[in-house]
Amino acid sequence: MAEEISESPNHPPPETPPSPPSEPEFDSKTMRKTKPGLKRLFLTFTVLVSFLLGFPFLFKSVEIYRSPLPFHDIDILSNDVVSNPFLFPFHFQAIFVPSDPKSSSIDVNLDELELSIRTKITKLASKGIGSQCGACTNNFTLSLTLDNGDCTQSLSKFYKCGSIRAADLDFSDDESVDEALESAGLDFGGKVYSVVVVVNGDGVEGVKVVVGKYRHAWIVGRDWRVEEVAERLAEIFVKVFVNGGREEGLIHGEFMPVGADGRIVLSFNLLNADPRDWIYDWDFQKIDETLLAPMIDTLGPIANISVESQVLYYTPKFSFSSWDEKLGGYILSTKDLPFFVNSNEWHLDTSIAAGGRSKILQFVVYVPSAKECPLLLQLPNGEISKTNAFISPMWGGVMVWNPQSCSRDSDSELLVKHIMSPEDLQKIFEVFAGQFRQLFGLKSGSLHVGALDTYGLLASEKGFTEWELDFLSRQHTCFNIHSSATTLGSLSKLVQSLPRMIIMDEIGKQVKFSLEAANLARSNASLGFYDASAVSSRQARSLAEDAFFHPSIMSVSYYSFEHCFAVYSPFFLPVSMHVLLAALREWRRYKQEKAKYLLWKAKEKAAS
Amino acid sequence: MELPSRWAFLLFLLLSSTKAFGSDVDKEEFQEELLLKPLPDRKLLAHFHFETRAPPCDSNGLHHHHLFPKSISQMVEKFRVKEMELSFTQGRWNYERWGGSDTMASNNAKPPGVELWAVFDVPKEQVDASWKNLTHTLSGIFCASINFLESSSMYSAPDWSFRQASGSLRYGMLPREAVCTENLTPWLKLLPCRDKAGISALMDRPSIYTSLYYSQRLHLTSNASDLEGLDSGIVLEQTLTVVLHPSSQRTSLTHFSQSYLQPSWSLSSIFGRKVNGRCVLAKSSKVYLQLERGLVSQLKKSENYGADYIASEGYDGEANFELTVNPDRVHKEENSRNGISSSLLYEFSVDRYSNSKPFDLGLTWKFPVIWSCQQAPLHASRFLMGSGNERGAIAILLKSTDLNDSSPVANSARDGCELRVNIFQVVPWYIRVYYHSLQLFVDDQLKAVGAFVEKIHVIPSKDKISPGMMEMVLKLPCGVKSAALTIDFDKGFLHIDEYPPDANQGFDIPSAAIAFPDFHTSMLFHSNDSERKSPMLSKFQESSPVLLYTEVLLVPLTTPDFSMPYNVITITCTVFALYFGSLLNVLRERVGEKERLLKSKAAANTGLLSELLSRLSAKLRGRSQEPMQSPSKLSPLINSKLALKVLLMAALAVAWQYYFG
Repeated sequence: MAEEISESPNHPPPETPPSPPSEPEFDSKTMRKTKPGLKRLFLTFTVLVSFLLGFPFLFKSVEIYRSPLPFHDIDILSNDVVSNPFLFPFHFQAIFVPSDPKSSSIDVNLDELELSIRTKITKLASKGIGSQCGACTNNFTLSLTLDNGDCTQSLSKFYKCGSIRAADLDFSDDESVDEALESAGLDFGGKVYSVVVVVNGDGVEGVKVVVGKYRHAWIVGRDWRVEEVAERLAEIFVKVFVNGGREEGLIHGEFMPVGADGRIVLSFNLLNADPRDWIYDWDFQKIDETLLAPMIDTLGPIANISVESQVLYYTPKFSFSSWDEKLGGYILSTKDLPFFVNSNEWHLDTSIAAGGRSKILQFVVYVPSAKECPLLLQLPNGEISKTNAFISPMWGGVMVWNPQSCSRDSDSELLVKHIMSPEDLQKIFEVFAGQFRQLFGLKSGSLHVGALDTYGLLASEKGFTEWELDFLSRQHTCFNIHSSATTLGSLSKLVQSLPRMIIMDEIGKQVKFSLEAANLARSNASLGFYDASAVSSRQARSLAEDAFFHPSIMSVSYYSFEHCFAVYSPFFLPVSMHVLLAALREWRRYKQEKAKYLLWKAKEKAAS
Repeated sequence: MELPSRWAFLLFLLLSSTKAFGSDVDKEEFQEELLLKPLPDRKLLAHFHFETRAPPCDSNGLHHHHLFPKSISQMVEKFRVKEMELSFTQGRWNYERWGGSDTMASNNAKPPGVELWAVFDVPKEQVDASWKNLTHTLSGIFCASINFLESSSMYSAPDWSFRQASGSLRYGMLPREAVCTENLTPWLKLLPCRDKAGISALMDRPSIYTSLYYSQRLHLTSNASDLEGLDSGIVLEQTLTVVLHPSSQRTSLTHFSQSYLQPSWSLSSIFGRKVNGRCVLAKSSKVYLQLERGLVSQLKKSENYGADYIASEGYDGEANFELTVNPDRVHKEENSRNGISSSLLYEFSVDRYSNSKPFDLGLTWKFPVIWSCQQAPLHASRFLMGSGNERGAIAILLKSTDLNDSSPVANSARDGCELRVNIFQVVPWYIRVYYHSLQLFVDDQLKAVGAFVEKIHVIPSKDKISPGMMEMVLKLPCGVKSAALTIDFDKGFLHIDEYPPDANQGFDIPSAAIAFPDFHTSMLFHSNDSERKSPMLSKFQESSPVLLYTEVLLVPLTTPDFSMPYNVITITCTVFALYFGSLLNVLRERVGEKERLLKSKAAANTGLLSELLSRLSAKLRGRSQEPMQSPSKLSPLINSKLALKVLLMAALAVAWQYYFG
């Protein structure tokens, strides 16, 4: 075919230029009589254009598979989580009970009081602490009831009038009051936080505020002003019931030590720093059964907790301690605490029994060696820590336990294993329970210092009270949503920063479902379906983490752009050279020939 | 942090339950032992033996541990491991010189690299899944690439030749796994005292890793559902066997030349450390010195004393050797066969020693002794035959060790007895073994395989799925001098990404295991008191068949040039580009114009162009008239084009470097 084209009579017959001598002088070098042909130009340009058109197809064919991720939705979610936190609706009620319904009736203007409480709650909630995730702002209902026997002013739909009688309650025994209020059924038909105000209550000096184990508190006292009542009520509602009684700056609220699969492994370790001095052992089985099991049961709705324990030996600490004559012990100051945990020698180990996503909380009882025997932790203010323990958020807690007498029992040839006495163990586990609560962001003490006075908090023997559990589950939902939003955000950043990373369809699906679950959790929460919200938030988090830790993401595609270039350049580089040069040459020639022709034309015109 | 009333009511619960305390805690126990044994070829064997026992699992399945490592018990519980053995070995056990038929050799001589086998207590269809999870867990615990055993082409399921386990046994080997301190540290982590105190403190890394043979073993048995009703919980047995070369630094003053005398040694000279007391957590902590049968009989011969003397006062100054520490007890092997001297075991208890008085056992030889060790019935070796990269053959050679009459085979060789040999061999799939080509040579004569094979079980390999496995029981006449098995194989081709990083080194065929089911090793040591026997001695007492491993074979496979795919791409693309380019050039060629141009040029230079052209064409047609004219004409044209191309390429390269480099 090539021959046919090349032999085609496209060219001007060059051998016969000067045939008519009459014509103006014709220079075969600078002019031509025929129009220059377009065939070759057309051909070369067709090839060039088809090449250029082919490139997008080539790029398409070597493109690696990337499942389309909803980057926009992810951005919306993460912005949303930051800008407007979760809003849970709350129901509050206050019940005013006169201590003696017959004799005295209270002249309280309920409407006025309600307004006052409302403004106070809004003020408290907007004061920083309320802007946290899971707090309430305006999304609450408040109902006040005056139960003076005849139930005239009952506004609450939860409270059945007449079920509390102040005369039946003995306010010197908090536990019994708590039980009595619980049996009265204050939260009839829903999660309602109620405060019972006993007006002119007997048997109490001043004003006594106690928060019970369930979802109620009571205020007993005489001779107060309406403003004070409103202040107290607002404080109990917002600071205790909504915010879990936590202080600001304790542990950042967004962290919950719960694994993505909703599991916590509590790993208890007894460390004997130097078994040559003494060996202590414990009977953990009993502790597990008696002390830990109720707490684990209580926390069941929030996390699935398993417990394991081990005893380790020859585990010195990292930091140094110095002898203090005055305090009669070896002192370890707070600034040395970061170096206390000796990860070289403390083989605390992750748990094989736990799944990959479980959160492991390490609790360590450190028995110091004879060289450092009464080992005491010094607080920054110079005092000795009462508990001799500290926590590390999201890791666990450490407690230093000093043996009774610090003298080595080396006189006996064979060392005896000491078993920790049940009293000691009980003390240790009280501290652990406190630490565990602190890790969850709750207070470890039994007092809440309010603006007007100190509130007593009744502690549950299960470790967590019901309103605390409510708070934790709200917190957990928040944490899950927050964590899934950040995980998805990081994933989208990662994916966008690595353009040649393969993204499987499965990841795309997981991201999609995670987003859906997160949005569902948010809408459920705002409607007040706590449990559904908790479930879908957990799902959102675990799906987000599944997507982020998908094995295929780990193996970032080795098919880099350089690789692609190296494979295709041996063909496309020389070919494109040919094509481009041919097009260039033909174009140049065409212009040249055209100029020649035009010159001839002009000459011819001039001649004629 | 006070929780005033929260715990109060629970206190009485705890108080009431203190009675059960002591017994419960004491059930977990740990024992440490070290056996030292002079070997005939001037070496010293040191065998550390640690045993940790955990009581049987509670009903709730939760374990709270006091001594037993948490990770192991959780692993056993999670994967339902019934029995498992993992060994890391460096070097090869010398069966001829260090013993082939004693307990030490058949239990602790392991193939080089990693060997793992496990028996699971799960339904048969779940065994593979459990094995895969187990390999990953173990590689996490021991910091080794045991997870390579996960792929089904790396492990096999022997039926009966390796161990009786009815389908729930999996066996895998990694012959090339390098063993180093990072594997020892996690292994030590499982001991309650680690290497901080007790006998394990002797493990000085430089001395044990420069040893001739190093084998670190972990064996665990869990009798969660024991048929015997004896529920012993989990028994974790950790052993470390090293063969050291003691350099006798003290020059002997005796008239015997140094070369004949066995080297003298002490713990501090071979390990560079002494034992500073026992591990306080160990129930017992003992060091043994074993003199094997051959040595004892030689000592007897050299002295004119009765056997009783050695048994009771072997450490006496007048004996052949001197010990720096007096043994606490001497055990004598109870031997059923008369006439053969029995081995001796000196026991040293480390309990009495402390930091101020460290334990440093030393042995000084006074007279030269030459003895030989107990040999296995047959000596096994395996080698490759054939050359080239295409095919070859594996040969297993069993040779009689019958040099003198003391061999157990010779004793019973009188009548037509038979010697049974179990052979278990796993071959990776890329060695394509032709099992029909199995040939058996007995006493150098080709024999029919069927006449000697009692039982054979072959699983051929599947490409990239499973390795080939051969289990076989040979029945050889007792007086056999040698027996050889050969199997031909073809070498397979691997996919390019299946080659290991160092493909040119060759591929390893794991060791074959050869067992002699008729010969059992057990050493029963007589102990005077009714005290419970030490775990190591009871291990010696267990009867196990003589087992030995052959060499690892290194098969060179054809390794491709790994840059080949790129070369192929490049050359194909270049050919395509050339074709395309020339086609394009031909398409836009103007023949008439070219000719005209050439003619005018020729006319300018010489008038002979047409003549030249005709000559050239004549030459191209085959008649040689004029040589070498046209190329010189064409070359400047080509050169300028070429130069342009080269320049363009260079410019592109520079631009590439500038923008992307």
